[in-house]
Amino acid sequence: MIEATSLTKRYGARTAVDSVDFTVRPGQVTGFLGPNGAGKSTTMRMIVGLDRPTSGRVTVNGRPYAEHRAPLREVGALLDAKAVHTGRSARNHLRAIAATHGIPVRRVDEVIGLTGLESVARKRVGGFSLGMGQRLGIAAALLGDPATLILDEPVNGLDPEGVLWVRGFARQLAAEGRTVLLSSHLMSEMALTADHIIVLGKGRVVANAPVADILGSTGGFVRVRSPRIDEIAGRLGQPDITVTSVDATTIEVRGARAEAIGDVAAALGVPLHELTLVQGSLEDAYLSLTRDEVEYRTGALTGEPAAAVTEEVAR
Amino acid sequence: MSAATTAPATARVTLQPVPDARLRFTGILRSEWIKLTTLRSTVWAYAILIALQIGMGALLVLTQPQELTAAAGADPAAAAQAAVQVSTLGILFNQLVISVLGVLVITGEYGTGQIRSSLTAVPTRLPVLWAKALLFGVTSFVVGLVSVLASYAVTWPMLQAKGVESDLADVEVWGHLVGAAGYLALIGLVAFFIGALLRHTAGGIAAAVGLLLVVPSVISFIAADWASVLADWLPGSAGQTLFFGGGVFEPWQSVLVMLGWIALFAVPAAILMRRRDA
Repeated sequence: MIEATSLTKRYGARTAVDSVDFTVRPGQVTGFLGPNGAGKSTTMRMIVGLDRPTSGRVTVNGRPYAEHRAPLREVGALLDAKAVHTGRSARNHLRAIAATHGIPVRRVDEVIGLTGLESVARKRVGGFSLGMGQRLGIAAALLGDPATLILDEPVNGLDPEGVLWVRGFARQLAAEGRTVLLSSHLMSEMALTADHIIVLGKGRVVANAPVADILGSTGGFVRVRSPRIDEIAGRLGQPDITVTSVDATTIEVRGARAEAIGDVAAALGVPLHELTLVQGSLEDAYLSLTRDEVEYRTGALTGEPAAAVTEEVAR
Repeated sequence: MSAATTAPATARVTLQPVPDARLRFTGILRSEWIKLTTLRSTVWAYAILIALQIGMGALLVLTQPQELTAAAGADPAAAAQAAVQVSTLGILFNQLVISVLGVLVITGEYGTGQIRSSLTAVPTRLPVLWAKALLFGVTSFVVGLVSVLASYAVTWPMLQAKGVESDLADVEVWGHLVGAAGYLALIGLVAFFIGALLRHTAGGIAAAVGLLLVVPSVISFIAADWASVLADWLPGSAGQTLFFGGGVFEPWQSVLVMLGWIALFAVPAAILMRRRDA
Protein backbone atom coordinates (compact mmCIF):
# COMPACT_ATOMS: atom_id res chain seq x y z
CA MET A 1 0.00 0.00 0.00
CA ILE A 2 1.43 3.34 -1.07
CA GLU A 3 -0.28 6.54 0.00
CA ALA A 4 0.63 9.98 -1.24
CA THR A 5 -0.85 13.09 0.33
CA SER A 6 -0.45 16.53 -1.26
CA LEU A 7 2.90 15.30 -2.55
CA THR A 8 4.80 18.12 -4.21
CA LYS A 9 8.26 18.49 -5.72
CA ARG A 10 9.67 21.65 -7.15
CA TYR A 11 13.00 22.07 -8.88
CA GLY A 12 13.57 25.77 -8.74
CA ALA A 13 10.69 27.39 -10.55
CA ARG A 14 9.57 24.17 -12.21
CA THR A 15 6.96 22.11 -10.42
CA ALA A 16 7.58 18.48 -11.30
CA VAL A 17 4.92 17.02 -9.02
CA ASP A 18 2.05 19.27 -8.03
CA SER A 19 0.12 18.34 -4.89
CA VAL A 20 -0.61 14.78 -5.88
CA ASP A 21 -2.88 12.47 -3.90
CA PHE A 22 -3.24 8.79 -4.65
CA THR A 23 -3.34 5.35 -3.11
CA VAL A 24 -1.77 2.27 -4.64
CA ARG A 25 -3.47 -0.88 -3.34
CA PRO A 26 -2.09 -4.37 -2.91
CA GLY A 27 -3.20 -7.30 -5.02
CA GLN A 28 -3.37 -5.45 -8.30
CA VAL A 29 -1.08 -3.87 -10.84
CA THR A 30 -1.31 -0.12 -10.79
CA GLY A 31 -0.01 1.75 -13.78
CA PHE A 32 1.51 5.18 -13.68
CA LEU A 33 0.81 6.61 -17.06
CA GLY A 34 1.80 9.92 -18.46
CA PRO A 35 3.81 11.68 -21.11
CA ASN A 36 7.51 12.32 -20.59
CA GLY A 37 8.07 14.92 -17.91
CA ALA A 38 4.70 14.27 -16.27
CA GLY A 39 6.33 13.53 -12.92
CA LYS A 40 6.15 9.73 -12.87
CA SER A 41 9.81 9.12 -12.10
CA THR A 42 10.04 11.97 -9.61
CA THR A 43 7.04 10.62 -7.73
CA MET A 44 8.60 7.15 -7.65
CA ARG A 45 11.90 8.57 -6.43
CA MET A 46 10.11 10.35 -3.61
CA ILE A 47 8.38 7.11 -2.58
CA VAL A 48 11.76 5.51 -1.81
CA GLY A 49 13.28 8.67 -0.40
CA LEU A 50 15.79 9.43 -3.16
CA ASP A 51 14.18 12.83 -3.67
CA ARG A 52 12.85 14.88 -0.79
CA PRO A 53 9.32 16.16 -1.29
CA THR A 54 9.09 19.94 -1.27
CA SER A 55 5.88 19.43 0.68
CA GLY A 56 3.36 16.73 1.41
CA ARG A 57 4.24 13.16 2.22
CA VAL A 58 4.22 9.67 0.89
CA THR A 59 4.14 6.48 2.95
CA VAL A 60 4.64 2.82 2.22
CA ASN A 61 2.60 0.48 4.39
CA GLY A 62 1.88 3.26 6.82
CA ARG A 63 5.22 4.97 7.24
CA PRO A 64 7.86 6.78 5.23
CA TYR A 65 10.13 4.35 3.41
CA ALA A 66 13.25 5.42 5.33
CA GLU A 67 11.64 4.63 8.68
CA HIS A 68 11.20 0.93 8.02
CA ARG A 69 13.54 -1.47 9.77
CA ALA A 70 14.04 -3.47 6.60
CA PRO A 71 13.37 -1.12 3.68
CA LEU A 72 14.22 -3.74 1.04
CA ARG A 73 11.59 -6.07 2.50
CA GLU A 74 8.99 -3.35 2.10
CA VAL A 75 9.82 -2.01 -1.33
CA GLY A 76 11.77 -3.32 -4.27
CA ALA A 77 12.43 -0.57 -6.75
CA LEU A 78 13.70 -0.45 -10.28
CA LEU A 79 14.04 3.25 -10.91
CA ASP A 80 16.96 3.39 -13.22
CA ALA A 81 18.64 0.49 -14.96
CA LYS A 82 21.91 2.41 -14.87
CA ALA A 83 22.07 2.79 -11.09
CA VAL A 84 24.96 0.37 -10.96
CA HIS A 85 28.72 0.85 -10.79
CA THR A 86 29.89 -0.14 -14.26
CA GLY A 87 33.11 -1.69 -12.99
CA ARG A 88 31.45 -4.30 -10.81
CA SER A 89 29.97 -7.63 -11.87
CA ALA A 90 26.22 -8.11 -11.69
CA ARG A 91 26.55 -10.73 -8.98
CA ASN A 92 28.85 -8.62 -6.83
CA HIS A 93 26.49 -5.67 -7.23
CA LEU A 94 23.62 -7.80 -5.95
CA ARG A 95 25.78 -9.24 -3.16
CA ALA A 96 26.61 -5.74 -1.95
CA ILE A 97 22.96 -4.70 -1.87
CA ALA A 98 21.89 -7.95 -0.21
CA ALA A 99 24.57 -7.62 2.47
CA THR A 100 23.05 -4.40 3.85
CA HIS A 101 20.03 -6.38 5.03
CA GLY A 102 21.82 -9.64 5.79
CA ILE A 103 20.09 -11.30 2.86
CA PRO A 104 21.92 -14.58 2.15
CA VAL A 105 23.94 -15.15 -1.02
CA ARG A 106 21.67 -18.01 -2.07
CA ARG A 107 18.93 -15.43 -2.49
CA VAL A 108 21.27 -13.47 -4.76
CA ASP A 109 21.77 -16.51 -6.96
CA GLU A 110 18.05 -17.10 -6.89
CA VAL A 111 17.12 -13.69 -8.26
CA ILE A 112 19.86 -14.08 -10.86
CA GLY A 113 18.16 -17.29 -11.98
CA LEU A 114 14.74 -15.71 -11.80
CA THR A 115 15.72 -12.89 -14.14
CA GLY A 116 17.72 -15.08 -16.50
CA LEU A 117 21.08 -13.45 -15.82
CA GLU A 118 23.08 -16.61 -15.06
CA SER A 119 25.32 -16.38 -18.12
CA VAL A 120 26.36 -12.76 -17.49
CA ALA A 121 26.23 -12.62 -13.69
CA ARG A 122 30.00 -12.57 -13.38
CA LYS A 123 30.57 -10.06 -16.15
CA ARG A 124 31.08 -6.39 -15.48
CA VAL A 125 27.90 -4.35 -15.75
CA GLY A 126 29.57 -1.76 -17.97
CA GLY A 127 29.14 -4.06 -20.96
CA PHE A 128 25.46 -4.76 -20.37
CA SER A 129 22.77 -3.88 -22.89
CA LEU A 130 19.83 -1.84 -21.70
CA GLY A 131 17.72 -4.98 -21.53
CA MET A 132 20.26 -6.78 -19.36
CA GLY A 133 20.48 -3.69 -17.17
CA GLN A 134 16.70 -3.79 -16.74
CA ARG A 135 16.84 -7.44 -15.75
CA LEU A 136 19.58 -6.66 -13.22
CA GLY A 137 17.46 -3.83 -11.84
CA ILE A 138 14.50 -6.16 -11.48
CA ALA A 139 16.76 -8.75 -9.80
CA ALA A 140 17.88 -6.10 -7.30
CA ALA A 141 14.28 -5.10 -6.65
CA LEU A 142 13.36 -8.70 -5.85
CA LEU A 143 16.25 -9.32 -3.42
CA GLY A 144 14.28 -8.50 -0.29
CA ASP A 145 11.18 -10.43 -1.40
CA PRO A 146 9.35 -7.11 -1.01
CA ALA A 147 5.65 -6.56 -0.38
CA THR A 148 5.66 -3.62 -2.77
CA LEU A 149 7.32 -3.31 -6.15
CA ILE A 150 7.96 -0.07 -7.95
CA LEU A 151 9.13 -0.42 -11.51
CA ASP A 152 9.87 2.65 -13.60
CA GLU A 153 9.48 1.84 -17.31
CA PRO A 154 10.41 -1.80 -16.75
CA VAL A 155 9.95 -2.92 -20.34
CA ASN A 156 12.19 -0.19 -21.70
CA GLY A 157 14.89 -1.82 -23.80
CA LEU A 158 13.59 -5.36 -23.43
CA ASP A 159 13.11 -7.67 -26.37
CA PRO A 160 9.59 -9.03 -27.05
CA GLU A 161 10.23 -12.09 -24.93
CA GLY A 162 11.43 -9.89 -22.09
CA VAL A 163 8.38 -7.67 -22.40
CA LEU A 164 6.10 -10.68 -22.10
CA TRP A 165 8.11 -11.85 -19.14
CA VAL A 166 7.83 -8.55 -17.26
CA ARG A 167 4.12 -8.39 -17.97
CA GLY A 168 3.52 -11.89 -16.64
CA PHE A 169 5.80 -11.17 -13.75
CA ALA A 170 4.02 -8.01 -12.68
CA ARG A 171 0.65 -9.76 -12.86
CA GLN A 172 1.95 -12.70 -10.90
CA LEU A 173 3.43 -10.51 -8.18
CA ALA A 174 0.11 -8.74 -7.83
CA ALA A 175 -1.72 -12.08 -7.76
CA GLU A 176 0.49 -13.02 -4.80
CA GLY A 177 -1.05 -10.09 -2.97
CA ARG A 178 1.78 -7.63 -3.47
CA THR A 179 1.45 -3.99 -4.34
CA VAL A 180 2.78 -3.39 -7.84
CA LEU A 181 3.27 0.08 -9.25
CA LEU A 182 4.76 0.39 -12.68
CA SER A 183 5.12 3.33 -14.97
CA SER A 184 5.03 3.60 -18.69
CA HIS A 185 4.36 6.15 -21.33
CA LEU A 186 3.04 3.33 -23.53
CA MET A 187 -0.70 3.08 -23.21
CA SER A 188 -0.86 -0.27 -24.99
CA GLU A 189 1.53 -1.70 -22.42
CA MET A 190 -0.69 -0.50 -19.60
CA ALA A 191 -3.83 -1.91 -21.21
CA LEU A 192 -2.21 -5.34 -21.13
CA THR A 193 -0.63 -5.22 -17.70
CA ALA A 194 -2.44 -2.88 -15.33
CA ASP A 195 -5.70 -3.27 -13.45
CA HIS A 196 -5.80 0.29 -12.29
CA ILE A 197 -4.35 3.38 -13.86
CA ILE A 198 -3.22 6.69 -12.48
CA VAL A 199 -2.70 9.14 -15.31
CA LEU A 200 -0.29 11.96 -14.62
CA GLY A 201 0.04 15.08 -16.68
CA LYS A 202 2.26 18.04 -15.86
CA GLY A 203 2.69 16.79 -12.32
CA ARG A 204 -0.99 16.41 -11.56
CA VAL A 205 -3.29 13.38 -11.37
CA VAL A 206 -5.43 13.61 -14.47
CA ALA A 207 -7.29 10.35 -13.95
CA ASN A 208 -7.30 7.62 -11.34
CA ALA A 209 -9.55 4.71 -12.21
CA PRO A 210 -9.71 1.03 -13.16
CA VAL A 211 -8.50 0.31 -16.68
CA ALA A 212 -11.98 -0.77 -17.76
CA ASP A 213 -13.46 2.58 -16.70
CA ILE A 214 -10.84 4.53 -18.56
CA LEU A 215 -11.42 2.42 -21.64
CA GLY A 216 -15.18 2.74 -21.24
CA SER A 217 -15.03 6.50 -21.02
CA THR A 218 -14.02 6.75 -24.66
CA GLY A 219 -17.03 4.68 -25.76
CA GLY A 220 -16.92 1.89 -28.29
CA PHE A 221 -19.09 1.29 -31.30
CA VAL A 222 -20.38 -1.60 -33.34
CA ARG A 223 -19.36 -1.93 -36.96
CA VAL A 224 -22.03 -3.54 -39.09
CA ARG A 225 -21.53 -4.65 -42.68
CA SER A 226 -24.26 -6.07 -44.84
CA PRO A 227 -25.28 -5.95 -48.56
CA ARG A 228 -28.66 -4.64 -47.38
CA ILE A 229 -27.32 -2.22 -44.79
CA ASP A 230 -30.00 0.41 -45.37
CA GLU A 231 -32.70 -1.91 -44.04
CA ILE A 232 -30.80 -2.41 -40.80
CA ALA A 233 -30.01 1.26 -40.43
CA GLY A 234 -33.68 2.09 -40.93
CA ARG A 235 -34.65 -0.09 -37.98
CA LEU A 236 -32.09 1.54 -35.65
CA GLY A 237 -33.59 5.00 -35.77
CA GLN A 238 -34.00 5.59 -32.06
CA PRO A 239 -33.02 8.82 -30.29
CA ASP A 240 -30.13 7.40 -28.20
CA ILE A 241 -28.62 5.45 -31.10
CA THR A 242 -26.28 7.15 -33.55
CA VAL A 243 -25.72 5.60 -36.92
CA THR A 244 -22.79 6.73 -39.03
CA SER A 245 -22.49 5.55 -42.59
CA VAL A 246 -18.98 4.51 -43.55
CA ASP A 247 -19.56 3.24 -47.07
CA ALA A 248 -22.34 1.62 -49.13
CA THR A 249 -22.37 -1.56 -47.10
CA THR A 250 -20.96 -0.49 -43.69
CA ILE A 251 -22.24 1.54 -40.77
CA GLU A 252 -20.97 2.32 -37.28
CA VAL A 253 -23.52 2.20 -34.53
CA ARG A 254 -23.14 3.91 -31.18
CA GLY A 255 -25.58 3.37 -28.34
CA ALA A 256 -26.75 -0.12 -29.29
CA ARG A 257 -25.31 -3.47 -28.27
CA ALA A 258 -24.05 -5.88 -30.90
CA GLU A 259 -26.54 -8.54 -29.78
CA ALA A 260 -29.47 -6.19 -30.34
CA ILE A 261 -28.25 -5.30 -33.82
CA GLY A 262 -27.81 -8.98 -34.67
CA ASP A 263 -31.36 -9.64 -33.53
CA VAL A 264 -32.65 -6.83 -35.71
CA ALA A 265 -30.86 -8.29 -38.73
CA ALA A 266 -32.23 -11.77 -38.00
CA ALA A 267 -35.78 -10.45 -37.65
CA LEU A 268 -35.41 -8.72 -41.03
CA GLY A 269 -33.85 -11.80 -42.60
CA VAL A 270 -30.91 -9.67 -43.76
CA PRO A 271 -27.51 -11.35 -44.17
CA LEU A 272 -24.74 -9.94 -41.96
CA HIS A 273 -21.16 -9.88 -43.28
CA GLU A 274 -19.69 -8.30 -40.23
CA LEU A 275 -20.80 -7.44 -36.72
CA THR A 276 -17.81 -6.16 -34.72
CA LEU A 277 -17.60 -4.51 -31.33
CA VAL A 278 -14.84 -1.91 -31.58
CA GLN A 279 -13.59 -0.85 -28.15
CA GLY A 280 -12.16 2.53 -27.52
CA SER A 281 -8.41 2.22 -27.14
CA LEU A 282 -6.50 3.35 -24.12
CA GLU A 283 -4.55 5.54 -26.48
CA ASP A 284 -7.71 7.47 -27.31
CA ALA A 285 -8.59 7.80 -23.66
CA TYR A 286 -5.09 8.79 -22.73
CA LEU A 287 -4.72 11.34 -25.47
CA SER A 288 -8.02 12.96 -24.64
CA LEU A 289 -7.10 13.06 -20.97
CA THR A 290 -3.64 14.46 -21.42
CA ARG A 291 -4.25 16.68 -24.43
CA ASP A 292 -3.53 19.79 -22.41
CA GLU A 293 -0.89 18.23 -20.22
CA VAL A 294 1.79 17.29 -22.70
CA GLU A 295 5.00 19.02 -21.80
CA TYR A 296 6.89 18.51 -25.02
CA ARG A 297 4.75 18.56 -28.11
CA THR A 298 5.88 17.45 -31.52
CA GLY A 299 5.41 19.89 -34.36
CA ALA A 300 2.19 18.99 -36.10
CA LEU A 301 3.33 18.89 -39.72
CA THR A 302 7.09 18.80 -39.60
CA GLY A 303 7.18 15.06 -39.06
CA GLU A 304 10.32 15.47 -37.04
CA PRO A 305 11.23 12.75 -34.62
CA ALA A 306 9.53 13.24 -31.31
CA ALA A 307 10.73 16.32 -29.50
CA ALA A 308 9.88 14.46 -26.35
CA VAL A 309 13.24 14.37 -24.68
CA THR A 310 12.77 11.95 -21.84
CA GLU A 311 13.07 13.34 -18.37
CA GLU A 312 15.75 10.77 -17.66
CA VAL A 313 17.95 12.14 -20.40
CA ALA A 314 17.21 15.69 -19.45
CA ARG A 315 18.40 14.97 -15.97
CA MET B 1 -5.58 -10.38 -22.15
CA SER B 2 -4.75 -13.29 -19.92
CA ALA B 3 -3.33 -15.29 -22.79
CA ALA B 4 -0.95 -12.49 -23.67
CA THR B 5 0.26 -12.02 -20.13
CA THR B 6 1.19 -15.61 -19.39
CA ALA B 7 4.82 -15.67 -20.36
CA PRO B 8 6.51 -19.03 -20.67
CA ALA B 9 9.47 -17.92 -18.58
CA THR B 10 7.35 -17.03 -15.57
CA ALA B 11 8.70 -18.71 -12.49
CA ARG B 12 7.71 -18.54 -8.88
CA VAL B 13 8.96 -15.33 -7.39
CA THR B 14 9.45 -16.36 -3.81
CA LEU B 15 11.66 -19.38 -3.61
CA GLN B 16 13.51 -18.75 -0.40
CA PRO B 17 11.84 -16.36 1.98
CA VAL B 18 14.17 -13.97 3.80
CA PRO B 19 12.13 -13.22 6.91
CA ASP B 20 14.92 -12.22 9.27
CA ALA B 21 16.50 -9.74 6.90
CA ARG B 22 16.82 -6.21 8.20
CA LEU B 23 19.08 -3.23 7.95
CA ARG B 24 22.05 -3.34 10.33
CA PHE B 25 25.28 -1.37 10.48
CA THR B 26 27.29 -4.60 10.36
CA GLY B 27 25.44 -5.47 7.17
CA ILE B 28 26.21 -2.07 5.70
CA LEU B 29 29.86 -2.57 6.62
CA ARG B 30 29.87 -5.94 4.85
CA SER B 31 28.19 -4.35 1.85
CA GLU B 32 30.81 -1.61 1.67
CA TRP B 33 33.56 -4.19 2.04
CA ILE B 34 32.17 -6.08 -0.95
CA LYS B 35 32.02 -2.84 -2.91
CA LEU B 36 35.58 -1.87 -1.98
CA THR B 37 37.08 -5.22 -2.88
CA THR B 38 35.17 -5.96 -6.07
CA LEU B 39 36.43 -3.04 -8.09
CA ARG B 40 39.59 -3.37 -10.08
CA SER B 41 40.47 0.28 -9.50
CA THR B 42 40.76 -0.23 -5.74
CA VAL B 43 42.87 -3.34 -6.06
CA TRP B 44 45.13 -1.69 -8.61
CA ALA B 45 45.55 1.48 -6.60
CA TYR B 46 46.62 -0.44 -3.52
CA ALA B 47 48.97 -2.64 -5.54
CA ILE B 48 50.56 0.42 -7.13
CA LEU B 49 50.88 2.02 -3.70
CA ILE B 50 52.86 -0.92 -2.32
CA ALA B 51 55.06 -1.16 -5.41
CA LEU B 52 55.85 2.56 -5.32
CA GLN B 53 56.63 2.47 -1.63
CA ILE B 54 59.19 -0.31 -2.10
CA GLY B 55 60.54 1.04 -5.37
CA MET B 56 61.17 4.57 -4.16
CA GLY B 57 62.87 3.36 -0.98
CA ALA B 58 65.19 1.12 -2.99
CA LEU B 59 65.89 3.88 -5.47
CA LEU B 60 66.87 6.23 -2.66
CA VAL B 61 69.32 3.74 -1.15
CA LEU B 62 70.86 2.91 -4.50
CA THR B 63 71.46 6.57 -5.33
CA GLN B 64 72.57 7.67 -1.85
CA PRO B 65 76.19 8.90 -1.87
CA GLN B 66 78.47 6.58 0.11
CA GLU B 67 79.67 9.41 2.42
CA LEU B 68 76.15 10.17 3.71
CA THR B 69 75.32 6.61 4.52
CA ALA B 70 78.69 6.11 6.14
CA ALA B 71 78.04 9.08 8.43
CA ALA B 72 74.71 7.61 9.43
CA GLY B 73 76.29 4.25 10.12
CA ALA B 74 78.31 5.63 13.01
CA ASP B 75 75.32 6.79 15.05
CA PRO B 76 72.29 4.57 15.93
CA ALA B 77 69.92 7.54 15.99
CA ALA B 78 71.12 8.68 12.58
CA ALA B 79 70.84 5.11 11.30
CA ALA B 80 67.22 4.91 12.49
CA GLN B 81 66.44 8.21 10.84
CA ALA B 82 68.04 7.13 7.58
CA ALA B 83 66.13 3.85 7.56
CA VAL B 84 62.81 5.64 8.23
CA GLN B 85 63.51 8.19 5.54
CA VAL B 86 64.22 5.46 3.02
CA SER B 87 61.16 3.37 3.94
CA THR B 88 58.74 6.27 4.01
CA LEU B 89 59.95 8.34 1.07
CA GLY B 90 57.26 6.78 -1.11
CA ILE B 91 54.59 8.38 1.10
CA LEU B 92 55.24 11.69 -0.65
CA PHE B 93 54.00 10.12 -3.84
CA ASN B 94 51.54 7.71 -2.33
CA GLN B 95 49.65 10.48 -0.58
CA LEU B 96 48.50 11.39 -4.09
CA VAL B 97 47.60 7.80 -4.93
CA ILE B 98 45.55 7.47 -1.76
CA SER B 99 43.91 10.87 -2.30
CA VAL B 100 42.79 9.92 -5.79
CA LEU B 101 41.50 6.60 -4.50
CA GLY B 102 39.73 8.28 -1.58
CA VAL B 103 37.86 10.60 -3.93
CA LEU B 104 37.05 7.77 -6.34
CA VAL B 105 35.65 5.49 -3.65
CA ILE B 106 32.76 7.89 -3.14
CA THR B 107 32.45 9.84 -6.39
CA GLY B 108 32.54 6.61 -8.38
CA GLU B 109 29.12 5.89 -6.88
CA TYR B 110 27.75 9.26 -7.91
CA GLY B 111 29.29 9.16 -11.37
CA THR B 112 27.86 5.76 -12.24
CA GLY B 113 24.50 6.14 -10.52
CA GLN B 114 25.36 3.35 -8.07
CA ILE B 115 24.58 5.78 -5.24
CA ARG B 116 20.87 5.50 -6.04
CA SER B 117 21.01 1.75 -5.50
CA SER B 118 23.06 2.23 -2.34
CA LEU B 119 20.71 4.82 -0.85
CA THR B 120 17.59 2.87 -1.79
CA ALA B 121 18.97 -0.03 0.24
CA VAL B 122 20.01 2.31 3.07
CA PRO B 123 17.53 5.19 3.01
CA THR B 124 18.92 6.61 6.26
CA ARG B 125 21.95 7.44 4.08
CA LEU B 126 24.58 8.46 6.64
CA PRO B 127 25.48 4.88 7.66
CA VAL B 128 26.68 4.41 4.07
CA LEU B 129 29.04 7.38 4.41
CA TRP B 130 30.41 6.32 7.80
CA ALA B 131 30.81 2.67 6.83
CA LYS B 132 32.63 3.61 3.66
CA ALA B 133 34.91 6.03 5.52
CA LEU B 134 35.68 3.51 8.24
CA LEU B 135 36.54 0.71 5.84
CA PHE B 136 38.52 2.92 3.52
CA GLY B 137 40.46 4.40 6.46
CA VAL B 138 41.24 1.04 8.05
CA THR B 139 42.12 -0.61 4.73
CA SER B 140 44.38 2.27 3.77
CA PHE B 141 46.11 2.12 7.14
CA VAL B 142 46.71 -1.62 6.83
CA VAL B 143 47.88 -1.43 3.23
CA GLY B 144 50.03 1.58 4.11
CA LEU B 145 51.59 -0.31 7.01
CA VAL B 146 52.26 -3.32 4.81
CA SER B 147 53.86 -1.06 2.22
CA VAL B 148 56.26 0.71 4.62
CA LEU B 149 57.15 -2.55 6.37
CA ALA B 150 57.84 -4.15 2.99
CA SER B 151 59.89 -1.16 1.99
CA TYR B 152 61.82 -1.39 5.27
CA ALA B 153 62.39 -5.11 4.80
CA VAL B 154 63.62 -4.70 1.23
CA THR B 155 65.93 -1.77 1.96
CA TRP B 156 67.30 -3.06 5.27
CA PRO B 157 69.89 -5.41 3.72
CA MET B 158 70.78 -2.75 1.16
CA LEU B 159 71.42 -0.22 3.92
CA GLN B 160 73.27 -2.77 5.99
CA ALA B 161 75.60 -3.41 3.09
CA LYS B 162 76.44 0.29 3.29
CA GLY B 163 77.06 0.05 7.01
CA VAL B 164 73.74 1.50 8.18
CA GLU B 165 72.09 -0.87 10.61
CA SER B 166 68.69 0.06 12.10
CA ASP B 167 66.49 -1.86 14.51
CA LEU B 168 62.74 -2.25 13.90
CA ALA B 169 62.21 -2.59 17.67
CA ASP B 170 63.51 0.97 18.05
CA VAL B 171 60.52 3.26 18.68
CA GLU B 172 62.16 5.85 16.43
CA VAL B 173 61.80 3.30 13.64
CA TRP B 174 58.47 1.55 14.15
CA GLY B 175 56.83 4.67 15.51
CA HIS B 176 57.49 6.54 12.30
CA LEU B 177 56.52 3.57 10.14
CA VAL B 178 53.16 3.31 11.91
CA GLY B 179 52.92 7.10 11.64
CA ALA B 180 53.42 6.88 7.90
CA ALA B 181 50.56 4.38 7.57
CA GLY B 182 48.39 6.57 9.80
CA TYR B 183 49.18 9.61 7.69
CA LEU B 184 48.13 7.77 4.52
CA ALA B 185 44.82 6.74 6.09
CA LEU B 186 44.12 10.25 7.41
CA ILE B 187 45.04 12.09 4.22
CA GLY B 188 42.97 9.52 2.29
CA LEU B 189 39.98 10.36 4.50
CA VAL B 190 40.42 14.08 3.90
CA ALA B 191 40.18 13.32 0.17
CA PHE B 192 37.27 10.95 0.72
CA PHE B 193 35.16 13.61 2.41
CA ILE B 194 36.14 16.20 -0.19
CA GLY B 195 34.77 13.73 -2.73
CA ALA B 196 31.61 13.20 -0.65
CA LEU B 197 31.10 16.93 -0.53
CA LEU B 198 31.66 17.61 -4.23
CA ARG B 199 30.15 14.33 -5.56
CA HIS B 200 32.19 14.76 -8.71
CA THR B 201 35.33 12.80 -9.59
CA ALA B 202 37.31 15.40 -11.51
CA GLY B 203 36.43 18.21 -9.13
CA GLY B 204 37.13 16.06 -6.09
CA ILE B 205 40.55 14.94 -7.31
CA ALA B 206 41.49 18.49 -8.28
CA ALA B 207 40.49 19.80 -4.85
CA ALA B 208 42.16 17.02 -2.87
CA VAL B 209 45.41 17.09 -4.82
CA GLY B 210 45.32 20.88 -4.89
CA LEU B 211 45.13 20.97 -1.11
CA LEU B 212 48.26 18.82 -0.96
CA LEU B 213 50.35 20.36 -3.71
CA VAL B 214 49.05 23.73 -4.86
CA VAL B 215 47.86 25.38 -1.66
CA PRO B 216 51.22 25.00 0.17
CA SER B 217 53.22 26.52 -2.66
CA VAL B 218 50.77 29.40 -3.09
CA ILE B 219 50.92 30.13 0.62
CA SER B 220 54.71 30.03 0.60
CA PHE B 221 54.66 33.10 -1.65
CA ILE B 222 52.67 35.10 0.86
CA ALA B 223 55.09 36.96 3.10
CA ALA B 224 52.75 37.37 6.04
CA ASP B 225 53.05 35.78 9.47
CA TRP B 226 49.62 34.22 9.24
CA ALA B 227 50.65 32.56 6.00
CA SER B 228 53.56 30.74 7.60
CA VAL B 229 51.32 29.67 10.51
CA LEU B 230 48.71 28.43 8.06
CA ALA B 231 51.40 26.57 6.14
CA ASP B 232 52.25 24.60 9.29
CA TRP B 233 48.58 23.75 9.79
CA LEU B 234 47.94 22.40 6.30
CA PRO B 235 47.24 18.64 6.33
CA GLY B 236 50.32 17.79 4.28
CA SER B 237 52.83 19.64 6.43
CA ALA B 238 51.17 18.89 9.78
CA GLY B 239 51.00 15.22 8.83
CA GLN B 240 54.65 14.92 7.82
CA THR B 241 55.59 15.03 11.51
CA LEU B 242 54.09 11.57 11.78
CA PHE B 243 56.75 9.93 9.62
CA PHE B 244 59.58 12.36 8.92
CA GLY B 245 59.50 13.86 12.41
CA GLY B 246 60.30 17.52 13.02
CA GLY B 247 57.71 20.18 12.35
CA VAL B 248 55.96 22.36 14.89
CA PHE B 249 53.61 19.70 16.26
CA GLU B 250 53.95 16.71 18.54
CA PRO B 251 52.71 13.55 16.79
CA TRP B 252 49.45 13.50 18.78
CA GLN B 253 48.84 17.13 17.91
CA SER B 254 49.51 16.36 14.32
CA VAL B 255 46.86 13.61 14.39
CA LEU B 256 44.40 16.07 15.92
CA VAL B 257 45.10 18.65 13.22
CA MET B 258 44.44 16.05 10.55
CA LEU B 259 41.24 14.91 12.28
CA GLY B 260 40.23 18.56 12.23
CA TRP B 261 40.73 18.68 8.48
CA ILE B 262 38.65 15.54 8.11
CA ALA B 263 35.87 17.07 10.21
CA LEU B 264 36.03 20.27 8.20
CA PHE B 265 34.90 18.33 5.12
CA ALA B 266 32.98 15.50 6.78
CA VAL B 267 30.47 17.67 8.61
CA PRO B 268 29.16 19.59 5.59
CA ALA B 269 29.37 16.42 3.48
CA ALA B 270 27.16 14.57 5.96
CA ILE B 271 24.67 17.42 6.30
CA LEU B 272 24.36 17.75 2.53
CA MET B 273 24.11 14.00 2.03
CA ARG B 274 21.03 13.98 4.27
CA ARG B 275 19.46 16.88 2.45
CA ARG B 276 20.29 16.59 -1.20
CA ASP B 277 18.35 14.59 -3.73
CA ALA B 278 20.35 11.53 -4.74
